[in-house]
Amino acid sequence: MKVEDTFGYRVIYDWLNGKKLRPFKFQVETWEHILNGNSGLVNAPTGCGKTFSVFLGTLIDFINRHEDNFRKKTRNNLQLLWITPLRALAKDIGRAMEEVIDELHMGWKVGIRNGDTELSERQKQSRQMPEVLIITPESLHLLLAQKNNNEIFQSLRWIAVDEWHELLGSKRGVQVELAISRIIRLQGPAGNKIASIWGISATIGNLDQAMETLLSPLVTDLSNSSGFGKIVKAKIDKPIEIESVFPDEIEKYPWAGHLGIKLIDKVIPIIEQSRTTLIFINTRGMSERWYQEILNVCPDLAGLIALHHGSVDAELRIWVEEALHSGKLKAVVCTASLDLGVDFRPVETVIQVGSPKGVARFLQRAGRSGHQPGQVSKIYFLPTHSLELVEAAALKTAMKLNFIESREPMVLCFDVLIQYLSTRAIGGGFFPDEIFEEVKSTHCYREMTKDEWNEILYFISAGGAALQQYDEFKKVEIINGLYVINSRRIAMRHRLHIGTIVSDAMMKVKFMSGGYIGVIEEYFVSRLQPGDVFTLAGRNLEFVMIKDMTAIVRKSNSKKSKVPSWNGGRMPLSSNLGLMLRKKFNEAPLTLEQGIAPMDVPDIELRKLQPLFLLQHQLSHIPNENELLIEQIETKDGFHLFVYPFEGRLVHEAMAALLAFRISLVRPITFSFAMNDYGFELLSDQPIPVDDSNVYELFSQDNLTQDIQRSVNSAEMARRKFRDIAVIGGLIFQGYPGEYKKARHLQSSASLLFNVFSEYDPHNLLLRQAYNEVMDQQMEEARLRGMLDRIQRSKIVIRFLDKLTPFCFPIKVDSMREELSSEKLEDRVKRMQLQLSR
Amino acid sequence: MRPPIPYRIREQQLWLSADRCIFWEEAKSLIVSDLHFGKTGHFRKSGIAVPQTVYKEDLQRLINQIQYFQPEQLIIVGDLFHSRHNKELELFNKWRKNFPKLTIQLIKGNHDILHDDWYSAADIVLSNEDLQVRNFHFVHDIALTMKSNLQGRNGSGKSNYSFSGHIHPGIRIDGAGKQTLCFPCFYFGKNYAVLPAFSRFTGVVLIEPLKGENVFAIVEGSIFQLQ
Repeated sequence: MKVEDTFGYRVIYDWLNGKKLRPFKFQVETWEHILNGNSGLVNAPTGCGKTFSVFLGTLIDFINRHEDNFRKKTRNNLQLLWITPLRALAKDIGRAMEEVIDELHMGWKVGIRNGDTELSERQKQSRQMPEVLIITPESLHLLLAQKNNNEIFQSLRWIAVDEWHELLGSKRGVQVELAISRIIRLQGPAGNKIASIWGISATIGNLDQAMETLLSPLVTDLSNSSGFGKIVKAKIDKPIEIESVFPDEIEKYPWAGHLGIKLIDKVIPIIEQSRTTLIFINTRGMSERWYQEILNVCPDLAGLIALHHGSVDAELRIWVEEALHSGKLKAVVCTASLDLGVDFRPVETVIQVGSPKGVARFLQRAGRSGHQPGQVSKIYFLPTHSLELVEAAALKTAMKLNFIESREPMVLCFDVLIQYLSTRAIGGGFFPDEIFEEVKSTHCYREMTKDEWNEILYFISAGGAALQQYDEFKKVEIINGLYVINSRRIAMRHRLHIGTIVSDAMMKVKFMSGGYIGVIEEYFVSRLQPGDVFTLAGRNLEFVMIKDMTAIVRKSNSKKSKVPSWNGGRMPLSSNLGLMLRKKFNEAPLTLEQGIAPMDVPDIELRKLQPLFLLQHQLSHIPNENELLIEQIETKDGFHLFVYPFEGRLVHEAMAALLAFRISLVRPITFSFAMNDYGFELLSDQPIPVDDSNVYELFSQDNLTQDIQRSVNSAEMARRKFRDIAVIGGLIFQGYPGEYKKARHLQSSASLLFNVFSEYDPHNLLLRQAYNEVMDQQMEEARLRGMLDRIQRSKIVIRFLDKLTPFCFPIKVDSMREELSSEKLEDRVKRMQLQLSR
Repeated sequence: MRPPIPYRIREQQLWLSADRCIFWEEAKSLIVSDLHFGKTGHFRKSGIAVPQTVYKEDLQRLINQIQYFQPEQLIIVGDLFHSRHNKELELFNKWRKNFPKLTIQLIKGNHDILHDDWYSAADIVLSNEDLQVRNFHFVHDIALTMKSNLQGRNGSGKSNYSFSGHIHPGIRIDGAGKQTLCFPCFYFGKNYAVLPAFSRFTGVVLIEPLKGENVFAIVEGSIFQLQ
């Protein structure tokens, strides 16, 4: 059916015409697919009418089917389910939709359902569902936990998943997959589908896979799934201009660091010159510092700048967003919290502080500026240490080549499945054989075996495989074959738990006297000693103790403080950006050796960095694309070995563990290792036996899988993965909001549980998942193999240093450390003691 | 099992076991702390599927220690049970009946919230605050005791050496190359000692001992004196 010939199209076209607008080509294309009952994926950047591409399509379809009375027809029950990753998005999208409905004089209602929705509103929805429901993945699961949930979805015709590229590759995306599999099966047997599914995604490297993952439950014949679903691409070119912020004297700019506050004087004029500026900072802690510093340097901006990050009170965040819309703010210091969402038209300029870690993220942030038609998106890159300037040059090239990262969908997330099955056990219960088919229809659990499935059922109904005595395990009960949760207490606790999939384990921070300051990662708190000073909400706080899952602090006048920086630090450099970086170093030495005038180097960043390159060149070596540089040096800390593959922090962590393990096979030796996005370091108290004779062997691909598994075990990467898994899988209860007493005696740390499971139930499903996640995501085994292959084909350059170089310095001074040892624990303790007493 | 380590304090002979308890030779007493029995059951009852094996093994370790040292009494400086009653405690009761001659002294910890009748039925002698046996004094949380005694005693209790638990002490060892390790430990200060938690289903809280105090780390089944 041609959409242009339909009545509904005329209605919408006339409405647009009245506003002097024309539909974009990709919108019309999407409308036609919707009319024809197809499913698919719309690929469009924000601010280009992607919402309307799907929403207006559903309206046209509805109008066509009710030509005579589409205006009067009310109480149509749920028609369109709009899944969005961020609460903040819901309001703006809802407002835009309501505007259309009002102007068309239609009787549709738009409802919002998320953690902020009032109980009365939710009850109203339960009595009469609105035609459009805008919902987060968590709230959708909460809806599935309601007893009467199957009635809600019977009338549903369209499921739209906004910002699917964000959800894909996260466990929240898996939540979406599961919820869709449920809704599709609720509507009838396979092949009899009513609802169609539309994803909306920004550009990523694997759009086909993204669509295939989303539509998986619709596909009845897996062997013949190719060609299923339609991808609609918006061809809208918006020019992006990147400009680096340079320090006056590159020689004096620090070699290490992640704050960049020294360049604040360069930021103020940028803010003053443009209408509204967004300043993206990688972590919450640092955004606090920047906010304070800007006010210190430029007090005139008080009241005109605001702070926006995940730990800021929700009400304040909403206020900031409103003020951004109305153009009341000159600048907002923010974190990834403003990555998503509708556009703030007054924003003219974006500043990225520190590495954006990936091409896609950088482009998305750049796209947040310049929304007036015909305007250029302007983004400034502000390096937090000098070498980071190379990234700006790499980003420019990557953007030119449209070299954008893929997002890999997650597979076999048993923790999410355990949570989901408990959700279903609350929402009326389930029969295993029925739900098994549903779950298998998702991309995530397609490869799940019957054994794994049975293990999960046993885990939630009997509390694990081990034989227990005098056991009172109680979670999911089996009544006449129906798996159901009857205990109100367990049900309530589970409902509170569903939302925890989003965040890292967070801890509240309070003054001893009782005042509430904010929240902070538990991981960060766990590394604090009483007396340590850290910064939150712009204040210096001395850590006193942890009590009732709350970090108790007192005010501190100490000048030195730690910045909670873990979250941003965890995001690794993407392989695309890494590749571009290595290529950029190709261009660097030209300015040094061949006497070409710096002006001939196309990238201004590389020209400015010349003094640094010169130093690196004199002290050591600048690796080109086909080389791997290794630096060795002895300092008072011990013997260091630095390697620079430029593959991102996580792959470096794996590589460091692997290399440490292989060296330790040569002789008993203990390493601690550190890494950043450019390279990694092994540090030992003994000389490290790496030289020309064995270096290629140490980077060999032979026995890779076994070696990884053996090295991971010691390095305890799995322990960290287990944190999230234990929370999502319901092993760690974070307490009722504001009601800690009732969770009494149920507190335990993920680390402790990890120990207990490792020792007493080593085959535990969730434990296995932790190890798998380490292999797939952390180690990125495929990427690791690719890297080793590359290294085998490249020239390895080993340099023995007298002084620290610009390359190794940042790794040495600020990085996280891991350990690997082939020595017996007892021997280590003895030796460490010996060293101390010397 | 490795042999215990001898340690003398206030002219009394102690034996420190890597299984996280102390045998006091003169009083024929085994001193333990923070057993948290029933913790796995409490978690499981609430739908958190931790393996019960850790509890059974804790119980078995206690039996082994009793058979090895042959004490006349067991002094528990608090947190014998983790929480409210659950069926797992039947395992404890069964075990209790196998040692009818053993006296069990429990100084109540913050986790010991069962009804007093329950303890007497299990033939456990309760002390609400503290317990004095010869020249040694036993409490659960030494910090609380010191706070409440600060005005009253003011150094007069110098001759009294206390044994306590509660904090699950752990010690961190730093080596060259920024290596660190962390272990549960025994702590012996000037006037009091803190025992490691007996249960292996417990974490540790790091302590920072002063010079002249003694610390013994428990490293994979053996004991190391660190200072």
